[in-house]
Amino acid sequence: MPKTRKLALMALLSAIALTIFMVESQLPPPAPIPGVKLGLANIITLVTMLLLGRKEAGAVLAVRVIMGAMFSGSMASLLYSAAGGALAYLVMCLTVKFFSEKQLWIVSALAGIAHNAGQLLSCMLIVETPGVLAYGPILAVSGVISGCFTGFAAMYLLRALKKLRP
Amino acid sequence: MDRKTKIWTIIFLAVALLGLLGWWALSSLGGGAVAVITLDGVEYDRIDLSKVTESYDIEIDTGYGHNTIHVEPGRISVKEADCPDGICVAQGAIDKGGVPIVCMPHHLVIKIEGSEIDA
Repeated sequence: MPKTRKLALMALLSAIALTIFMVESQLPPPAPIPGVKLGLANIITLVTMLLLGRKEAGAVLAVRVIMGAMFSGSMASLLYSAAGGALAYLVMCLTVKFFSEKQLWIVSALAGIAHNAGQLLSCMLIVETPGVLAYGPILAVSGVISGCFTGFAAMYLLRALKKLRP
Repeated sequence: MDRKTKIWTIIFLAVALLGLLGWWALSSLGGGAVAVITLDGVEYDRIDLSKVTESYDIEIDTGYGHNTIHVEPGRISVKEADCPDGICVAQGAIDKGGVPIVCMPHHLVIKIEGSEIDA
């Protein structure tokens, strides 16, 4: 893929991820538990990783996390978001080659767990209260569910995108 | 479904089940009557809920935003907050240890501990 085209595609994917992130942040939380959310923007991270590669997915993720915190006006949440995102990205990079495209949801579920683990750990460091670890079990459940959901969404999106390609 | 997919499906189901079980156990467990409010890991206030006879509110400016904490006989909740998600308010009141109320954007934690108060 020519460099310019790749850059344009990355910019487009970042914009889509940011839009999804902002729309989701305006929706009411699915459960009254801190850290529980669908993380729909992760669909784009996964799709980018499979379409363009790991480095590109990392760049799109970084842009989304930083600009997402700026646009939603919650710089205080940037650290949680970044820690969760970084850990999820790491797990994705390490596991993606072991699974076929039909098993992408497994990668996504693992990333979901990693995301919530990173968020919980950074939260524990920031509020310096070990008591927040009580949220560990429910955040693991939430990570699996939302990870599977975004994983399947990414799989269907990839299938549709392949039809568009010349 | 091939073997690998099956194994991972079972692993994820097990994680979900164990997590739910753990959550259920944690949220129904734990005693204590002293609510400890911490900001950024520093203790802000300590209230013996068993000695509260009339409910009242505490206003806290956390430096990240504002929270109104509602203290009632035996339980405590966040009544109002200007954080973006409002999850601390949605969590409702807690009356025992186990799971604390967390307002992540404001670095605020309310936890219930054992009944002794440190002097």
